[in-house]
Amino acid sequence: MNASLLAETQGLLAQAQRVYLEDAAASILIQGYSQRLQAPLRIAVAGMVKAGKSTLLNAIIGEEIAPTDTGECTRIVTWYRYGHTPRVTLYPTTGEPFALPIRRVSGRLVFDLGTRTAEDVERLVVEWPSQSLQDVTLIDTPGIGSLSSDLSARSLRFLTPADAPSETDAVIYLMRHMHATDLRFLESFSDTRAGHSGTVNSLAVLSRSDEIGAGRLDSLLSAAEIAERYRRDKNLRKLALDVVPIAGLLAQSSRSLRQSEYEALAQLSRLDRNTREKMLISADRFLRSTQDGVDEAARASLLERFGLFGIRMGVALIRGGAKDPTSLAHELTRRSGLEELLRAVALHFQDRASDLKARTALAGVESLLRDKPVPGSEILADALERIHATAHEFRELKLLATLRTTGVSLNDDLALEAERLVGGRGVAPEQRLGLDDDVPASELSHQARLYLERWRMVAENPLTDRPGLEVCRLVMRSCEGLLEESSAAAGH
Amino acid sequence: MVTETARPVLVKMVEQGIELVKSGERRDLHLRLEQARQRLLDPNVRVIVVGEFKQGKSQLINALVNAPVCPVDDDIATSVPTVVRYGDPASAYILAPRDGADAAIGEAEIERLPIDLPELASYVSERGNPGNKRKLLAAEVSLPRKLLAGGLSLIDSPGVGGLGSSHSLATLTALPTADAMVMVSDASQEYTEPELRFLRQAMRIAPNVLCVLSKTDFYPAWRRVAELDRGHLDTLGPDIPLFPVSSRLRLEAARLQDAELNTESGFPELIVHLRKEIMGQADRLQRRSVGQDLLSVTEQLRMSLQTELQALQHPEGSPQMIARLEAAKQQADELRKRSAKWQVTLNDGVSDLIADMEYDLRDRLRRIQREAENAIDQGDPGATWAQFAQWLEQRSAAAVSDTFVWSSERAQWLAGQVAEHFAQDEAALPILHIAEVGDALEPVEDMPVLDDGRINPMQKVLIGMRGSYGGVLMFGLLTGIFGMALINPLSVGAGLLLGGKAYKEDKEARLKRRQTEAKTLVRRQVDDVVFQAGKQLKDRLRLVQRSTRDHFTDIAEEHHRSLADSVAAAQKAASTYTAEKDRRIQEIRTALKKLDALHAEARALAAEVRAAGTEAGPSGTEVRAAGTEAANAVTR
Repeated sequence: MNASLLAETQGLLAQAQRVYLEDAAASILIQGYSQRLQAPLRIAVAGMVKAGKSTLLNAIIGEEIAPTDTGECTRIVTWYRYGHTPRVTLYPTTGEPFALPIRRVSGRLVFDLGTRTAEDVERLVVEWPSQSLQDVTLIDTPGIGSLSSDLSARSLRFLTPADAPSETDAVIYLMRHMHATDLRFLESFSDTRAGHSGTVNSLAVLSRSDEIGAGRLDSLLSAAEIAERYRRDKNLRKLALDVVPIAGLLAQSSRSLRQSEYEALAQLSRLDRNTREKMLISADRFLRSTQDGVDEAARASLLERFGLFGIRMGVALIRGGAKDPTSLAHELTRRSGLEELLRAVALHFQDRASDLKARTALAGVESLLRDKPVPGSEILADALERIHATAHEFRELKLLATLRTTGVSLNDDLALEAERLVGGRGVAPEQRLGLDDDVPASELSHQARLYLERWRMVAENPLTDRPGLEVCRLVMRSCEGLLEESSAAAGH
Repeated sequence: MVTETARPVLVKMVEQGIELVKSGERRDLHLRLEQARQRLLDPNVRVIVVGEFKQGKSQLINALVNAPVCPVDDDIATSVPTVVRYGDPASAYILAPRDGADAAIGEAEIERLPIDLPELASYVSERGNPGNKRKLLAAEVSLPRKLLAGGLSLIDSPGVGGLGSSHSLATLTALPTADAMVMVSDASQEYTEPELRFLRQAMRIAPNVLCVLSKTDFYPAWRRVAELDRGHLDTLGPDIPLFPVSSRLRLEAARLQDAELNTESGFPELIVHLRKEIMGQADRLQRRSVGQDLLSVTEQLRMSLQTELQALQHPEGSPQMIARLEAAKQQADELRKRSAKWQVTLNDGVSDLIADMEYDLRDRLRRIQREAENAIDQGDPGATWAQFAQWLEQRSAAAVSDTFVWSSERAQWLAGQVAEHFAQDEAALPILHIAEVGDALEPVEDMPVLDDGRINPMQKVLIGMRGSYGGVLMFGLLTGIFGMALINPLSVGAGLLLGGKAYKEDKEARLKRRQTEAKTLVRRQVDDVVFQAGKQLKDRLRLVQRSTRDHFTDIAEEHHRSLADSVAAAQKAASTYTAEKDRRIQEIRTALKKLDALHAEARALAAEVRAAGTEAGPSGTEVRAAGTEAANAVTR
């Protein structure tokens, strides 16, 4: 299915290229769109100031390269993409891009802008030989709600430009609590302008979840509950595909847990319970304490990298039986929520990468047609309209958006089922059908057939109204696709 | 260090005064002293704790009083303001409008219902009372705690900035009646833009602002954050104190009886500040006003007695004296009249203020309306109507709160002006700088060019963000926007699938219709807000006018009465027989002696307060507080 949409989009871009042959600026734009179609999916990490964007980015990449700090830190939109050799390129607002020297202080990159200020720089592009960046380009953005409203404006301009499709295909949005500003931002990112596709492509992350409840060991459970509540929140539901809690610091640091850190934690875990609790009552006390045989520098670095919660958790895990750094790191990562986030990213973004990319490209062509109509653009507009109306993937996305925003005239159970079948919980057949990962293909096709019949009955029900019928047809089409796919797989 | 007169001594002094007044027929003076006595016996220093939600406001109060009074939760926020004050035994009440009474009417009828202390959470937190469904106005908790014994009451406010928060404006309106505001922000990050914006607004109307950096136990880098915050505060104003504290450590310290831990929690400094500065200042203000009351009462009593004495001793001088007194009486009479200078200042000032306020409000809302209409022109209002309505509500609430801050500031200034014109024994009040107000209110956003008719989404978001401190209006006057139910965005969605030109045209027509309809609704909404909020604000200003007038008229009355009494006494003295004369002189002398003694004490008290004031340093807040004292007396 995906291949055909991609091909159609490419065809449209080629056609647009011919129509706009005369217009150099437009040609460049179109060329850009078609290059984007081939390149990895672009995901921006956005959120309010100090939500932990750079920390999460490091966690996803698996290396601590993005600079982080207690004060406001990220001031420039920074792209992280795959490259064979590390390279940092600065794109100034005016003038030619040039390479920056790579300087790292304790692992993190230091961007030396020289005489330039952050305002002069449009973006930084970091190329990094990291496995995680191979099929996704991550974009770090300055925080929203920043004290320098200029920086906030920059992020907004980047993420939701007024007159062009967004530079990014999807957004991971970080928030600490659901703040009114968060919702407003997500609203502006979800595409609601008249005549547009109206899809939702943001994933909300409840970040710094280890700080909920000021670092009690059950903070993460609390966070999971809060995330669950947000997931059901009708305001957020229509703006974000899912809500995932994550302890960013833990996720970032546990991926690079060192032997020495493990040993220090083990040392702590051997202390008597009372002493340890007294020591861990506050960050200051922990730094000052002398009873543990861990030297001060090591304590400071532990605190910086894991936080009080991370240390408490690490000690608890070691006492619970984590015998070596590898298993400890694994446990910490698991609890940090990173895996869940990566799964959600794969589910909602990577599996739909080509749809999302095609959507961006089509939106680009659309805005071009609107802004610069030329002879021949009507044909192009018709072609565009046709893709929008016929591409099943888009219709699925659109239905998803409708299901999440205004709702449909079906009962709740059916609406939920429809959401799943059109790929709201992931596009793989198992996920659509709500089955386990390892069921045989024959079972898949059996289930798909059952669903198809069920929805046919709904469609034939005289009480189903016209809009409901549209939904039914779409869901049936999805079921047919599933059936086709699984039968083919079963046949092999 | 000036040794301060103990409170019981003050009460005693006032009681002496009452004793003296009682013998005469001056009910007005009696009343004044009685009020002073009441205030002394039941002092109330209100400290309101504000901040964004989930910053640890409730926990801060719990730690201050060492008891889990305000419910604390990882997720759920406080939804009803809770007042914690002294009381023995511990008890709790909720304040709710009496059944049938409309909450919007407010002060109409309020019921005070006792509840069990442990049940408080089910009344004040979002969990037990989501969105304040029970329409509670406040909860009150009384605790036998030493900290509170001096009359300190702590007010836990619902966090501002929350979703659909209706609290921000309510918090702002409560500020002028509080003695101090504590702004809480946790150590996870420096102040954000909305926080600073709130601080900036609040500082203009709250007499005392102090900041607390909470949760220092958990964030190793709190010193760095404190430093950054300090920097931000310095840009706002000089000498705003910042206290890094850890409520958790304080509560642990109480549990373990660990003095060292308590010191580490940072609370001792905060408590000292609350006691010395906030309570101290409130106390000084109170001493000062008690001293002033006593001075003025004794002087007035003395005047008639002394006149009588003079007339008795030197009958030959009586006519001149009476003439002088008559002249003074005339003057006092003038002061009572509507044509008195202070009355003119007040009346003109209030009418100007009301006109300006209305213009200001209308101007702000008109700008919002223009933005809204531009936004509607941009696209289909049907699909995003719910969000749009919310945006509009928040923007209007923000506009109203701006107008509110501005007009209460002006009202305060006006009260000061009136006091100055009235000024007699009272030293001239320092004038608040109105000039500072001007540019802060300059329109923030550039007006879009009219025929441009476009507002880009970024601007839209920025505008939205600016309003993030807004909320539903304080008096629930925004009743929500109805009427869009007819427009079903779904029909548009389904239609798109069909494609085709005919549909497109039809769609355009329908879109136009929807846009027109939406604009009408916006206009109606804005009109409603102007009407309702305008009325509320106007009423407030009228209230200020009335109480200012009453306050000063009372004083003028008192003076007039005293002078009239003196004249009468002098005339009476002239016709007194010699035999009675000596006895009367004797009587007057004894009374005068007592009065003089009290007068001297009151003078000493006034001097003491002044000395203490200078000792504490003429800090900005001190001067402000002194300046707003008279104004507060009438605006409260």
